[in-house]
Amino acid sequence: MNLGGAIRAIISFLIFVVLHYTLRPLLGWRAPMDFLVLALLLASVRVRPATAAVIGFVLGLISDSLAPDALGAGAIAMTVVGFGASYLKAVFFADNLVLNAFFFFLGKWVFDIIYFVGEQRVKGVELLQQLLLWSPLSAAVTAAVGVLLLFLMRPLLEPAPA
Amino acid sequence: MARAIRSNNRFDLIILGTCVVLAFAARALPNTLRDPVATGMRRTFLAPLVMLQENAERGRQSLLSADAKQSRLDSLSLGTMKAGALETENDRLRKIIGLGSRLRWGFVPTEALHGRGVRDETTVILSAGSRAGVSRMSPVIAPEGLVGFVDQVDPTMSHALLWTHPDFRVSAMSPDGTAFGIAQAHLTSATGGYLMELRGVPFRATLKPGAQIVSSGWGGVWPRGIPVGTVLQEIKTSEGWARTYLLQPAVNPADVYSVMILRRERLAKGMDGVWESVAQADAAAQRIVVSGDSAAKAAALAEAAARRAVIDSIARANGSPLLGVTAPTPALDDTSAAAVAARAAQRAAARRAAAARAAADSIARQGEANPTRPDSIRRDSARTDTVPQRPGARR
Repeated sequence: MNLGGAIRAIISFLIFVVLHYTLRPLLGWRAPMDFLVLALLLASVRVRPATAAVIGFVLGLISDSLAPDALGAGAIAMTVVGFGASYLKAVFFADNLVLNAFFFFLGKWVFDIIYFVGEQRVKGVELLQQLLLWSPLSAAVTAAVGVLLLFLMRPLLEPAPA
Repeated sequence: MARAIRSNNRFDLIILGTCVVLAFAARALPNTLRDPVATGMRRTFLAPLVMLQENAERGRQSLLSADAKQSRLDSLSLGTMKAGALETENDRLRKIIGLGSRLRWGFVPTEALHGRGVRDETTVILSAGSRAGVSRMSPVIAPEGLVGFVDQVDPTMSHALLWTHPDFRVSAMSPDGTAFGIAQAHLTSATGGYLMELRGVPFRATLKPGAQIVSSGWGGVWPRGIPVGTVLQEIKTSEGWARTYLLQPAVNPADVYSVMILRRERLAKGMDGVWESVAQADAAAQRIVVSGDSAAKAAALAEAAARRAVIDSIARANGSPLLGVTAPTPALDDTSAAAVAARAAQRAAARRAAAARAAADSIARQGEANPTRPDSIRRDSARTDTVPQRPGARR
């Protein structure tokens, strides 16, 4: 990735982070989209797994700092998701919106599973309900929003022509 | 090549393991350490994000509460509108209570029930009847002044003619009793509403715009001193021997909902002190003006005396006659020019002194006098309030 591509990727990443802390609380949905996961996935496919793990760890700590009771849970989930996304980028890195949507859906769902299990705040039936109902819904919304943003930000995210 | 790939994979796994261990370490932190770490992050490099989130949350709360706020605003507006009407009603009720406290006795507070018909702007139904002591021809008054009189009485309600009725007349006068006339309704135009006109005012009696007109007490229906209206202007009529004035009525009957009916026995006791607040204020203002004039006059006299003392001392030092010392009066038989001039000067001085004394007496009388002179009713200009009885009219 050249310098221009890196700058565009960083700008996109920052836009997603800002959206996470503006649009998400403004909408306040029960099954919210997760712009941090989108930012992590879009960054992970552009860097090597170690860097993706570090990015995920930092993003997780950022999100955890606003919910101190779960400090570390988001960091674990983001680290694993970032590493996995970067490790499996050969599988998912495709110029296909449907595949990207599935990639976002899977990333968010895995993140939620690790997060809620690691957080240990929700248990039993409530945890099942969260992981099997609300998390997939949230993942679906995240995937839809991610695809929409990919479409809108295509000029910013596409690699520069050689 | 294969070794490099394995090395990279090992590096990635080491980084992954490190991050996971750190994350688990963060997860395992006790609360006493977890909170300071999170707080430190929020207060430092995450502060902009926290601020963004707070603003977004505030925006969401504003959006969510917009409907409730609008509802509250509507309720508040509605309440404000009602408050205005309530304030007006309270003001009227306070005036009614004030009038009642000044009347003290012999009145019946009642509600005026307005109809909406064509003739209903000249009549009104009152919610008190003969059981409450109301009798026919009882005056109906409001805190502002004259409203009408009762013409039909039932046990529980009564019917009153308002001053807007074509048959209504009341003998009225200026508060100082210098001008008398008969007040009646004056329809300005088909849609312009009612004013009053004061007819039959003697030609020599002039009224200035703004002058108050009150009932004169002649005729036995209306006691003396109830405000009728204020003079707007003189209007020209075919009666060359008398003046007619247009009055702004003291009471707009359409706005009157709470009134008082005066009982017959109350009329005999008069209405002294009930509506005299305006006249009292005028009298007080006049007394203040007179007091001010007296103070200015005293100051001027003191200043003149001081000046005269200085001139006298100068004259004494020069050996000339003192100022103010009367020169010997020349003999009457002295016909010299100097003697004639001296006598003329003395006569002029005497005239000036007499005029000054008269002016001082006049001011003193003016300050002490009651502006309402009950003894100054002119017999030749007094008229009775009359309600012409139509032949066959039912009362």
